[in-house]
Amino acid sequence: MITYLLRRILLGLVTLVVITLMVYGLARSMPGNPLTVQLGESDPSRKLNPEDQQRMLEIYGLDKPWPVGYVQWISKVIRGDLGRSITRKQPVTQLIGERIGPTVLISGTALFLTWFLAIPLGLYASARGGQIDERFTGLVLYALYSFPTFVAALFLQIIFAVWLRDTRWELPLFGMSDLSTDAPFFARCIDVAWHAILPITCQTYVVLAYNSRFIKANLEEVVRQDFIRTARAKGAGPWRVLVHHAFRNTLIPLVTLLGLSLPALVGGSVIIEQIFTWPGMGRLFFESIRERDYPTIMGLTLMFSVLTLAGQLLADLLYSIVDPRVNVD
Amino acid sequence: MRVTEETEAAKPSRGFWSDAWQRYRRRPIGMLALCFVLFLTSVALFAPAIAGTKPVVCSYKGNLYFPCLGYFNRSWESPIFTKDKFRGTYPENLKQKDPESWAIWPLVFQDPYRRVRENEWPGRRENPSRDEGHPTRLNLFGTDQYGVDIFAKMVHGTTIALLVGFVSMGLAGSIGVLVGALGGYFGGWVDMITSRLTEIVMCIPTLVLILALIAVVEKPTIWKTMAIIGATGWTGIARLTRAEFLRLRQTEFVMAARATGAGSLRIMFRHILPNALAPVLVPITFGIASAILVEGSLSFLGFGPPPPTASWGSVLNSARSNLQLWWLVVFPGAGIFLTVLAYNLVGEGLQEATDPRLREAKK
Repeated sequence: MITYLLRRILLGLVTLVVITLMVYGLARSMPGNPLTVQLGESDPSRKLNPEDQQRMLEIYGLDKPWPVGYVQWISKVIRGDLGRSITRKQPVTQLIGERIGPTVLISGTALFLTWFLAIPLGLYASARGGQIDERFTGLVLYALYSFPTFVAALFLQIIFAVWLRDTRWELPLFGMSDLSTDAPFFARCIDVAWHAILPITCQTYVVLAYNSRFIKANLEEVVRQDFIRTARAKGAGPWRVLVHHAFRNTLIPLVTLLGLSLPALVGGSVIIEQIFTWPGMGRLFFESIRERDYPTIMGLTLMFSVLTLAGQLLADLLYSIVDPRVNVD
Repeated sequence: MRVTEETEAAKPSRGFWSDAWQRYRRRPIGMLALCFVLFLTSVALFAPAIAGTKPVVCSYKGNLYFPCLGYFNRSWESPIFTKDKFRGTYPENLKQKDPESWAIWPLVFQDPYRRVRENEWPGRRENPSRDEGHPTRLNLFGTDQYGVDIFAKMVHGTTIALLVGFVSMGLAGSIGVLVGALGGYFGGWVDMITSRLTEIVMCIPTLVLILALIAVVEKPTIWKTMAIIGATGWTGIARLTRAEFLRLRQTEFVMAARATGAGSLRIMFRHILPNALAPVLVPITFGIASAILVEGSLSFLGFGPPPPTASWGSVLNSARSNLQLWWLVVFPGAGIFLTVLAYNLVGEGLQEATDPRLREAKK
């Protein structure tokens, strides 16, 4: 077990180095640099003159070729320092700390809702398999699965922010809060929750449709096996067979899926956060690419890849807990 | 009696693909989706004949021309029209410069790239602009804030949507099959490298990778976007191909092929690949759906191909700042949704028709 873990972690570290090297090279090959992109866009007259720019580049260590910059970056990371954002003049860790809360608020709620609804839906679908009501819900879920989030987000915005304007059902169009920071805590919570409804809906429905179909497909596979027939033969009721015998045997693929959704939990969705201008991680990633803010891009990339690898490892480890027959060694 | 027996024996048994087709045909939803995809393909092929301001065929100064082909490629529009200063408006100019001329016009006289002016088509009013462009008889799907017809944009955008699906998944499929085949067939250190490579690409969030690549290529055209989507979307296909090759390289027919002296490449692509194709084709079909989604979201975020290209996502992008113009959301949204749904349904039908495990279950 320990050797397995060590091997996986070592391999993971190698993968991390290659990923960050690739992304760093890619980021540095994007045209422009944080100074020109930021200042040039806001006001052409404020463009730096060449000498100043050269001096600034030297301060940030951007005057050297990118492999050198990468070595500098990774040696700092090993010492536990993700660097400072160039365009936001803030440590990257602090920036991530600020943005992680709003993202988890959305994606955590969405993840919870997804599994909370998907498991009963999947069980229901396989219990009533082939019946007319199951076919209908199946079709609706399938349609939802193919429905693009950005279209859904626009529809929801049109319905709740334009058509229902000035009614009780009006929902805020974007942002996270309209109240100032000195408003009472409770009122602010309500306000944030009100703003979060549409983004959460958008993030939930696609995954919900996918997961419930996934659960159903797995259940159908298990239900065909001999031990289910045995369970039925010995007189177990249909629900007991489904939940106690069949569902428990579909846990392995579900655990994999849960492990793979770990990065999305913290990473958030670029598109949803961009549409609803939600101050989360996805938006930060999007903005940092646009601003060529290398330290932030790299910090976020590192976090995403660590989480992805950790999710895969976690899924593999959970296997052996869920199914004692699986031996990770 | 003997004769019938002989003909029975001579009749070849149904092959794998015709068998799969027989199964596929039995699913009404799958067939419906396939028909929709074929319908879209014909819309894409005949887009300039469905909506446009250039005649499909015209006789001008004694010669026949097909100016509508200019919508596919600028240079396919005869230079004589530039020389005679048509400036893109045909109906009036044709009559003025050659009274003898005749033309067959597209079904809908609207342009996907510009606003149709007053009397451009005799007696027709100007396209409404800003928030007045409700869907009407003249503008079936309404107009955007600049007065450009949405129906024409949608029709011409079909070409892009389908191309994105095919080109990017063609590329992703080739990379994925190649990487997966190499890893699965050779195993050992080759497999080690290809598997790590796949894992690395999987670890970087796709949209972020795509955005970074788009920034690197500087001037994005629709072809570059397709190439980038393809170059980032092959990981799932590679993993599946690898698994199939791992399984198949142990089989007797591969051993037989090796015994006859076939080389590695021949075994990989002539013997194993045809047998691994069905399970690989399914994620490619789903991949087409997701490529269309990705292109839509890129255009939606404003990172798509530059303006003259009419893509469905860019219409949605213009709706973001004009939420009152619901027709800017409903029609392109429905277009993307139905196309993605159709491809997903085709993929699902393909899966059910070719996966032996699912087939056994249905018996």
